[in-house]
Amino acid sequence: MNPNLARLQAITRRNFLGASSLGLGGLALSQLDANAADNQRDKDDPLAPRKPHFPGTAKRVIYLHMSGAPPHLDLLDYKPELVKHDGEACPDEYLKGKRFAFTSGVPKLLGTKQPFKQHGKSGIWMSDAIKPLHDVADDVTVIRSMKTDEFNHAPAELLLYTGFARQGRPSLGAWTCYGLGSESANLPGFVVLISNGVQPSGGQGCWGSGFLPSVFQGVQCRSKGEPVLYLSDPPGMDRDMRRLGLDAMKDLNEIQEKELGHPETRTRIAQYELAFRMQLSATEVMDISREPAKVLDSYGAKPGAGTFANNCLLARRLVESGVRYVQLFDWGWDFHGTNPNEDIRDGLTRKGTVTTQAVAALIKDLKNRDMLKDTLVVWGGEFGRTPFREGRTAGGQVLGRDHYPDCFSLMLAGGGIKAGHTHGESDDLGFKVGKDMVHIHDLQATIQHCLGFDHTKLTTRFQGRDYRLTDVHGKVVKDILV
Amino acid sequence: MIFSTGSLRVVCIITLALSTSSARGQTAKVDFNRDVRPILSNNCFACHGPDEKVRKGKFRLDTREGALEVAVVPGKPEASSLVKRLTTKDAEEAMPPAKFGKKLTAREIEILTQWVKEGADYATHWAYVKPVKPAVPEVKDAKYAIRNAVDAFIAARLIKEKLTQQPEADKYTLARRVALDLTGLPPTPEEVETFVKDASPDAYEKLVDKLLAKTAYGEHFARLWLDLARYADSAGYADDPARTIWKYRDYVINSFNANKPFDQFTIEQIAGDLLPKPTLEQQIATAFHRNTMTNSEGGTSDEEFRNVAIVDRVNTTYMVWMGTSMACAQCHTHKYDPITQKEFFGSFAFLNNTADADRPDESPTLPFWADEVLAKKKGIEAEIAGLEEKLKGKKPDEMKPERDKLAALKKEAAALKPTTSVPIMKELEGAARRKTRLQFRGNFMDLGDEVTEGVPAVFPPLPKDAPKTRLEFAKWLVSAENPLTARVIANRLWEQMFGTGIVRTSEEFGTQGELPSHPELLDFLAVDLQSDWNVKRFLKQLVMSAAYRQSAKVTPDLFERDPENRLLARGPRVRLSAEMIRDQALTAAGLLSPKTLGPSVKPPQPNLGVSAAFGGSIDWQTSTGEDKFRRGIYTQWRRSNPYPSMSTFDAPNRDTCIVRRARTNTPLQALVSMNDPVYVEAAQGLARRMIEKGGATPADKATFGFKACLVRPPTEGEVSRLVKLYEDSKAKFAKDAAKATQFATNPLGPLPKGVDAVDAAAWTVVANVMLNLDEMVMKR
Repeated sequence: MNPNLARLQAITRRNFLGASSLGLGGLALSQLDANAADNQRDKDDPLAPRKPHFPGTAKRVIYLHMSGAPPHLDLLDYKPELVKHDGEACPDEYLKGKRFAFTSGVPKLLGTKQPFKQHGKSGIWMSDAIKPLHDVADDVTVIRSMKTDEFNHAPAELLLYTGFARQGRPSLGAWTCYGLGSESANLPGFVVLISNGVQPSGGQGCWGSGFLPSVFQGVQCRSKGEPVLYLSDPPGMDRDMRRLGLDAMKDLNEIQEKELGHPETRTRIAQYELAFRMQLSATEVMDISREPAKVLDSYGAKPGAGTFANNCLLARRLVESGVRYVQLFDWGWDFHGTNPNEDIRDGLTRKGTVTTQAVAALIKDLKNRDMLKDTLVVWGGEFGRTPFREGRTAGGQVLGRDHYPDCFSLMLAGGGIKAGHTHGESDDLGFKVGKDMVHIHDLQATIQHCLGFDHTKLTTRFQGRDYRLTDVHGKVVKDILV
Repeated sequence: MIFSTGSLRVVCIITLALSTSSARGQTAKVDFNRDVRPILSNNCFACHGPDEKVRKGKFRLDTREGALEVAVVPGKPEASSLVKRLTTKDAEEAMPPAKFGKKLTAREIEILTQWVKEGADYATHWAYVKPVKPAVPEVKDAKYAIRNAVDAFIAARLIKEKLTQQPEADKYTLARRVALDLTGLPPTPEEVETFVKDASPDAYEKLVDKLLAKTAYGEHFARLWLDLARYADSAGYADDPARTIWKYRDYVINSFNANKPFDQFTIEQIAGDLLPKPTLEQQIATAFHRNTMTNSEGGTSDEEFRNVAIVDRVNTTYMVWMGTSMACAQCHTHKYDPITQKEFFGSFAFLNNTADADRPDESPTLPFWADEVLAKKKGIEAEIAGLEEKLKGKKPDEMKPERDKLAALKKEAAALKPTTSVPIMKELEGAARRKTRLQFRGNFMDLGDEVTEGVPAVFPPLPKDAPKTRLEFAKWLVSAENPLTARVIANRLWEQMFGTGIVRTSEEFGTQGELPSHPELLDFLAVDLQSDWNVKRFLKQLVMSAAYRQSAKVTPDLFERDPENRLLARGPRVRLSAEMIRDQALTAAGLLSPKTLGPSVKPPQPNLGVSAAFGGSIDWQTSTGEDKFRRGIYTQWRRSNPYPSMSTFDAPNRDTCIVRRARTNTPLQALVSMNDPVYVEAAQGLARRMIEKGGATPADKATFGFKACLVRPPTEGEVSRLVKLYEDSKAKFAKDAAKATQFATNPLGPLPKGVDAVDAAAWTVVANVMLNLDEMVMKR
């Protein structure tokens, strides 16, 4: 290594990124270039914006996760053959050697009960359960050939977000901020919003930093109550009083710095100042009552609620303020059929309509603000659902489906993704990928590609090995790129 | 923001290893382990290493035989294809291939060339060779304070680097540093006073002995061990249900306080149940490996997650004791270290025969009964036995009253519950024993040949006639022949005291780990520790050294030269852990409870209104009374939602073993220590102490508060700045009495009689500032 660079890294204490350059390289130098271009930010700030490996088509990501896994065969993947064979015993060839979460024996095939039509000029197939999306069909790409390795929620979510089915690795959002930093100096680079009060099964691991520095982990913000933990000054303390305290703190810390000569003291002073600014800016950006009624209505958002609609609107406000990666989780998509809300007929139409109103509004809103072109929006679950009725509930009135990893659908928009495009196919009955398989690792590679990264080179060294989001897999899906 | 961990590998290797060789002049011989192996391991072994399945071009570079077969002609770089293919301009021929994404530097190619020229000697990886106690260097230069052997090694290196030591830190600084390092708490005012006034040469040693004897010592070191043991009060995965296992936490605290020899501590945890007539304590110890996660999500396979737990136990055992990442070898033969997949399952087999099986009830568990309940239970059981005896052979319609009585007694017996319980390890016997098979790609359903118990061949074997049991495996970990355990543990204890390990990658001692900064010192310490496994004695040796006792002052030049203080030309100064930051604030406030051991507690945390998936609410009912103010080690550890303020200061969620915590410096931490009600309450508590006990003048009060926080007396400048803040705040609060009352009392409660709210609020501002000073969250 160039000794000047080593020296510089030691001085700037930016060496945690330098370490990765020993591995597959590239990052450290480009990051120094970025510093030169961007002298607005403190050089010690690890969230200062950095350039990727090559110019990306997406500058930021909004990932809308439907926790529990949406029944794709009733939403995006129309299978007339399956409808034709509805109620018949599932052919043996599809069951041999397979394990399902809640189904054993021979289940019955289940054709969709949702009306399907082609929409937009592009003619993308969508059911009536997601009517609001019909309007934006020409803005999105639907992948109908997704595949994962896991059929339980927690491991499947962890595989999707960290590339590994167990806890402990950095998440997609953490990798994104590690690679790109964040454009906002007053907000966290990676924000997580949880709707309807239930965490996803994968828990905080889905937005953890794993073995990357914890500054890259997702910060959970709330649309109800205090937007960031401990953001508000304690009762009785106002901004002026806080300022008085911070001024004294700075003076005393400077005495300490002079005496001992440790640069970290300087950084701590800067962090307190950033916290002070964040108190103001986070409160502002999280307050959706500042939006016109027209916008609130389009999303179906109501100030003070903890809904997915509110969070979609917040996601737009956050990326607009320079946040790099926003992750949403919406609870209530585990359509087993154990209660009427989990029925793939009315239950799904209710859930699909209210959810996709906000999704469609977000896509249109970004487009109107000319931000869709460089904002990548992803909508989907951790796996799909079976083409047959779930075993436990097969005797009841409610129609439900079991977890299914072998083939499912996902939707993307903006940020360099083709508009009005369908990629891949499932086979006739929807059991297997028929054409152009996209594995979870391929999706990850593609998202990182859109952000300007070669997924094999965005690495960090841990326990003696270079790790990356895609582990040792992943191929960029060129067909869905503009 | 600054990262003190996970960094600087490149810089270290260069400045700590290579520069010394160049300092000795160009003629110095290349050292395989120091200079060559890291280059080969980082760039070549992935395709030309131990893993036969992915080996390219049918040759390997990790052994001399392999290298000589194809790529290397000793003494003749120009005839060696290794050198040619590194330097060729032909893109087809060049190594490593472009798609591999790595490129050697000119310096690295130079080293390899010189190595081939010098005969291409190989050496066993340094950490796999049993440490031998090296001679302690003689340091003749009187400039360097040599208090014990540690200093001799450190000073010898400083002399080579032309660096000097710092003088000993002042007594206040030293008292605070050593108390925080040994007990996790600042010293008490009495301890400080005694030490400062004691002019005898062994004043410091007396303080150290006093600290090592405190219960707080075990509580502090338990924190480190619980990270390694992945201890949590919940079972993990999606629904993350509560788990009762705090008896294990208490076992760890008690073991450290009793100064249990580390080899015994090891054997009890891995195989306490297999010791002859195991005591209760030895059985509780086996909960070490019951801290693996249990998956209770509907639709999951218990056998699958039992296997996941065993894999975790293998990885954790090797990680904790031998600094070896076995995880790679679960799915394929290790790509860097000579450990095969079959060998992974050999170790797996030792641990694969315990009775636990990913059950929601965590069985087998060990119950603990209150004496009176146990007596009652025994009485009822005797009565039941008597009645059953009486009823033997009687027809069902006979003796109705006795039958009713029996039913009632059984119901009563079932209602008696143990006070607590702890999951334990229990070895399966006879037909219930499981066979271990190799799992292809780590898939528990894709099985290969049967594998029997054994340790990897690269390490010393088990004693010849020893039975292949979990107990023998445990003994092997701490046997005199094991080259790694003593080094790994000595290094980890060093890391606790000095901030960075002698091997910086304290989790990885294999070929991909970093080289030690002071190899001889590490071996000296390893052999020393191994001689009696006496942890307190070992730690005392570290903190008695002049290296530890130096002032932490640094010049810009020295900082640039050695930003991470690997050479110890100054005293250690790193951020405190999450638990220490919390405990210290509560101590300054006079709020910290001295209560030890027992069930985990729930200090205040914000209500999030969020539930775990398929599980209960994450919010909790705050503990009352002194349980609100217990040390951080007793805080309930919920994996799906670690205590938020501690998590912000890098406390892990403990899903898996954590060897090294990060030490970040972020704005979210500032929000915690400024605004978290726990810290506001601490500021209010400290303000009241300043008012009541601090003396007459504002300067006296400020001085009192400053010492309560930072131990040392403040300078005049510091006092006047704090008094100015007090006066400015007071003037502001005087205009709004309601605000003052709120700020001085919420959440701590009404002010003591005679205390003025405006005054208390102003001092609370001052206390809040002091609790947030850089010096407060750092060792000094």
